[in-house]
Amino acid sequence: MPVDRPTFSESWYRVAELKPRLRSLVQSYRQRYRGRTWHVLRDSANNKFFRLDEASYHFVGLLNGRRPVADAWKVCCEQLGDSAPTQGEAIQLLGQLYQSNLLDADLPADAAGMFERFKKRRRKEIGGYFMNLLFSRIPLIDPDNILDSWVKVFGWCFGPVGLALWFILVGAGLWSITGKVDDLWDQKSGILDAANLPLLYVCMVLIKAIHEFGHGFACKHFGRQSHSGGEVHTMGIMFIVFMPLPYVDASSAWSLRNKWHRAFIGAAGMYVEVAIGAAAAIVWANSVPGTVTHALAYNMIFIAGVTTILFNVNPLIKFDGYYILSDILETPNLAQRSKDYLYYLVKKFVYGVRRPRDPSHSKGERFWLVFYAITAAIYRVFISVSIILFVVDALKYMGILLALSGVIGWVIVPLFKWAHYLLANPELHRVRGRAQLATVLFIALLVGTLGFIPAPYHGRGEGVVEPGLIETVYAGTDGFIQTVLPSASVVETDGGDLVTTTNVELEIERRRLLAERGLYEAYYRQARSSEPAQAQIVQAQIQAVSEQIDRVNEKLTALKIQPGMNGVWFSEQADRLAGTYVQQGQPIGLLADTEKLLIRVTTNQFVGPQIMDDSGEGSMVQMRVRGRPEVMVQGKVVKVLKAARRELPSAALGYAGGGSIAVDSQDDQGTLATEPFFEVQIEPVMDGDSAETLYAGQRIVARFDLPNTPLLTQWWLAIRQVIQQRF
Amino acid sequence: MSIATNQQRMPSDSGPIQSALTPAWAAPVGAWRMLAQRGSAPKLPKGLDAAWDSAVGLFVPMVPRRGRYLRRAEHILTMQAEHHALSDDAIKERALELRGIFRLGREEKEHVDRALALVREVSRRELGMEPYREQVAAAVAMADGCLAELATGEGKTLVATMPAVIAGWRGRGCHVMTVNDYLAKRDANTLRKLYAACGLSVAWVDGEMPPPQRRQAYNADITYCTNKEAAADYLRDQLQLGRMRGLTQALVAKINHGGMSGVDRLVMRGLENAIIDEADSLLIDEAVTPLIISTEAPNAEQDLAFEQAARLAQQMNKDEHYKVNLRYRDTDLTRAGKARAAELCEGMPGVWQSPRMRDELIVQAITARELFLKEQQYVIQDGKVVIVDESTGRLMPDRSWRHGLHQAVEAKERLEVSPAKDTMARVSFQKFFRMYRRLSGMTGTAWEGRYEFWQVYKLPTVRIPTHRPCIRIQHPDRVFGSSEARWKAVVEEINRIHKGGRPVLIGTRSVEASEKLSSMLNAAALKHEVLNAVRHEEEAGIVEQAGQPGRITVATNMAGRGTDIKLGPGIAEAGGLHVISTDRNESGRIDRQLYGRAGRQGDPGSAIAFVSLEDELVRKYVSRASRRAAARAGEREVSGSRMKRLFDKAQARAQRLARKQRKSVLKSDDWMEENLGFAGREH
Repeated sequence: MPVDRPTFSESWYRVAELKPRLRSLVQSYRQRYRGRTWHVLRDSANNKFFRLDEASYHFVGLLNGRRPVADAWKVCCEQLGDSAPTQGEAIQLLGQLYQSNLLDADLPADAAGMFERFKKRRRKEIGGYFMNLLFSRIPLIDPDNILDSWVKVFGWCFGPVGLALWFILVGAGLWSITGKVDDLWDQKSGILDAANLPLLYVCMVLIKAIHEFGHGFACKHFGRQSHSGGEVHTMGIMFIVFMPLPYVDASSAWSLRNKWHRAFIGAAGMYVEVAIGAAAAIVWANSVPGTVTHALAYNMIFIAGVTTILFNVNPLIKFDGYYILSDILETPNLAQRSKDYLYYLVKKFVYGVRRPRDPSHSKGERFWLVFYAITAAIYRVFISVSIILFVVDALKYMGILLALSGVIGWVIVPLFKWAHYLLANPELHRVRGRAQLATVLFIALLVGTLGFIPAPYHGRGEGVVEPGLIETVYAGTDGFIQTVLPSASVVETDGGDLVTTTNVELEIERRRLLAERGLYEAYYRQARSSEPAQAQIVQAQIQAVSEQIDRVNEKLTALKIQPGMNGVWFSEQADRLAGTYVQQGQPIGLLADTEKLLIRVTTNQFVGPQIMDDSGEGSMVQMRVRGRPEVMVQGKVVKVLKAARRELPSAALGYAGGGSIAVDSQDDQGTLATEPFFEVQIEPVMDGDSAETLYAGQRIVARFDLPNTPLLTQWWLAIRQVIQQRF
Repeated sequence: MSIATNQQRMPSDSGPIQSALTPAWAAPVGAWRMLAQRGSAPKLPKGLDAAWDSAVGLFVPMVPRRGRYLRRAEHILTMQAEHHALSDDAIKERALELRGIFRLGREEKEHVDRALALVREVSRRELGMEPYREQVAAAVAMADGCLAELATGEGKTLVATMPAVIAGWRGRGCHVMTVNDYLAKRDANTLRKLYAACGLSVAWVDGEMPPPQRRQAYNADITYCTNKEAAADYLRDQLQLGRMRGLTQALVAKINHGGMSGVDRLVMRGLENAIIDEADSLLIDEAVTPLIISTEAPNAEQDLAFEQAARLAQQMNKDEHYKVNLRYRDTDLTRAGKARAAELCEGMPGVWQSPRMRDELIVQAITARELFLKEQQYVIQDGKVVIVDESTGRLMPDRSWRHGLHQAVEAKERLEVSPAKDTMARVSFQKFFRMYRRLSGMTGTAWEGRYEFWQVYKLPTVRIPTHRPCIRIQHPDRVFGSSEARWKAVVEEINRIHKGGRPVLIGTRSVEASEKLSSMLNAAALKHEVLNAVRHEEEAGIVEQAGQPGRITVATNMAGRGTDIKLGPGIAEAGGLHVISTDRNESGRIDRQLYGRAGRQGDPGSAIAFVSLEDELVRKYVSRASRRAAARAGEREVSGSRMKRLFDKAQARAQRLARKQRKSVLKSDDWMEENLGFAGREH
């Protein structure tokens, strides 16, 4: 079309003489969004909503069942000038209203068409259900009556009194846990205990049910206040990743004019939930640990706190936060329109489509649309991937099927639609070449950058710091231990003794030998003058005894064990050894060299061989200490063990010991990894800082520089790794 | 989107038929069928179904139908011997026997074969023409619901009788569609005897007929008509029925109102069988131009607005105030143009104060000025703008442009602006033909459109070989740098051939071109005939004579379609008719049709095209870069394989675009159907 909005349509004759009107059940509400007036039509039969702009509503409003469409349109054109809907727009509008069953025409009902539409909608619903198994909704009951009869009782909760009480309650809740935050934090590990899960789930359903009723009552409350009904007709079960939870359809909030009321309805669930959480906090703080009440209260705090923050507040997924945000920003249908707006920008500036339809209603909105579209897209990728991985982990083969359905729904279908758009959409008919070229170039650029340009590539592995040299300290002689240096004390070679032992027998032996030598010396002096031959024999005897004395002396010195090197002295039973008898050669403790450390890093089967092939021994490695991420330590690979093995160098690396490597649950030691790994030994390169940082026994993460590899290859490896680890 | 429509007026005499006097049979027999099938064109498949459908479409033309039908034709020829001996009465008896079978719908393949053999014999006796093997094969194909491609001059009129007889015997009416009223009348009259001998009545419909006669014509077993008449009658019937939805309501209305209900004013009895001659032009080329039934709605204010717009448009400059897009045939105001429009309209009343309406009117006026040229898109006859069909060069007095464009052109020519028309009913021919339950057709050129015939109409295409091998010599295209050089070469060529005594037929694309050539020929003192009028009878006469020695005939491409060019004495020996095309058409089919005028039925003949790089095809569909490269040739002749590729590519692109447009028309029909359900079915 050479003109933006051609006034006339050649299909006009089909509607011109008709005298339709809105069905009598349809109610309309006026609202303002960003300074523009909108009219929301509500079909009270099925609680569906339809938004019209001012001009369209003007036109539809003129249709009273007696006035032909042509007349209404003419009147509209006279009154509104250029902003009046064109004939084409009017036809489209009537068509949409008709498709939504909002229109009564002076014609016999088109039964076949109605069945056709019903069938189509049904098929769409069922298709949507299967395409979205991970987030399916099953409507169950109509809570309107219940809400109606109870809103008088609960309605005040959403009024000023309720709000004031809410603040008091939440304040009290917070007050009660101040000072106990550590306890609160410590208890968290128990929450996902198998034993606690049923309780957690029961609490969850309970709280979420109350949450949903919160929405329901709020909707009812404000609806009654503004006399728009606030009907709530659908409540049911929603399966979020197979976990059944209640939901309520509070879409009649749409009919409220005050955006803060709408936002409050969106927030009502959390409002109620936080109140419960606060009450639970008070109970928790005042109950005895170990009791059921205490555990229950803790679960409630957990749910009201964590799930609300993770899910409900988050505006990037279509839960409460999203609706609150779109109400506050006055950008209805934010998710869809932000996506459309992004498409619009691409169409306009990249594809060069002439006059694409701009989905934004006002200038101020555009920023929000772009911002939301981008963040939501990133978040969606993130959440989709994590959900798929989670499902695959939890359900294996069934999970693969679901993941496939997810991949089809989230990746393949959109790509297919894109391709279809590029190939066949009439909108592109003049710029198809450009659009296709731009798309192909973009993809080529993307694939080229990701697939061919090498990017820095790193492999990671967790390791444990070990002393470079360990000496076992053995008892030098038999004896009773007198003193032992406390374990873990730092010792130096010229420092004190590690262990002192006494051996009375040795002392006696020495004395005896000294005496014996004295005797022989006397003999010697005597024999030298009388029998020189004898003297020689005696001298030999003296010699022998002297040697014995030396030996005993040696043994006596060995009673005091001194460190052979600088290091740390370890002895398991240091405090209990004193007074015990040790035999020569019996190990007493260990002396570890702290100046020379060795780091043994486990690398998985993907990284290990690459280090072996590419960087190998002698290459530099960067390491960070677990728990102290700010410190970086350099190291040098000294050895890569060529064979994969499963015994961990330290239990600290396994799951059981708090590490990141899965270990065989059958293994008591917690050192048998489920997957074979390659060990890489690294010698830290010490400088001033790192010397103080590294201690034996610490866990570190080492980052190996692998040869630059295109990102696609890296991701492909990562995906294979993820898959292989799971199957 | 095609911007033209075929306009038909609602007959003013549509007042109540004298109900007291009209007996019950006033309503066409079988009107109920019409009622039961209202607007029931099959839906277009969507999504994966559509993909599957087009995949199937790829294979349909591969089915070896041709051999199968030829074998069946042989078989039918062998059955001829037994018929030879029969008396006329015995033949009639057999015909009635077969008719019974077909009416009951119990026919087998065997009966079809026997029926065709019978018709062949009748044809020999009544018309003195005996369809030969290829004609019979085409008839079998059509009886089977196919589209037969039968080379020009293979006797399509006769072929059509065979499936028509079978359809007639079925007793639900059979519409044989031809391209103009003249042919409908001629064929109905020449074939009357044949049909009568088969126990069938035949009638024709033309534009002038009043409703009662039409009703009678449609009540005949076989009705010859044009597509426009059939569609218009269908629409008028739908209007008569008003908003009655389906059979039940119509019957209730009939009970309530008796003869006053619309039911009795129907002229048609349902869309059952259609046999379409020149199927490609009817089903493809003309199919996107919708047919509209309208009434006049005089609007003085609007007429004035068009005139004002034409004046305003003259104050705008090309490229400064507006841009023209040749390929997509539209214009667009620039920002400066919009400002200019606002400035010019200051102080003007009414619509001129609304920017949207103002721009719309001005754009329209500019479009009328820039893209709609006298002698190309239209001619002026008796103070009226008459549209020229761009692909055929034929005048289309029934057509007018949509969206007020027609009025804009009239305003530009300073003619009296014709009153605005209110549409009452509208149907696109694509949709109309899809409503027939049994569709078959024949044409000289179908193969290029085989996928579309299947996708849109579910018609498989069968190529029937020519009876005698075609010995036409197709010379390679001659390409010239400029249009002038081309015309000079054409005149030289005519002169050369003319000296040899051979007749020459020159096809031009527009009336303007034919006028130009005519004046050049006059200057060269070459006697010639020019054909660009509307009178089909004269046209046929001239075309018939085009094969006489020394004749030079200048005709728009499709002139005299359906008329044989018989060669004069001694011409065959001299090399037969020489056809010169002065333009490559957007569709290769139309080129082929023109070439097919030479070398009919095994006659010798030759054909050649003279084209230039300034032709519309090149300007519209060749990328600027290749055009520039080609333009370096200057004025010279630049024929060669590279140029051939350039033209082939342009043609392919043009056709792709046209195909897409047709598809989008079909889709938008579908959208309307779905979304305007409350407005009743389209009619």
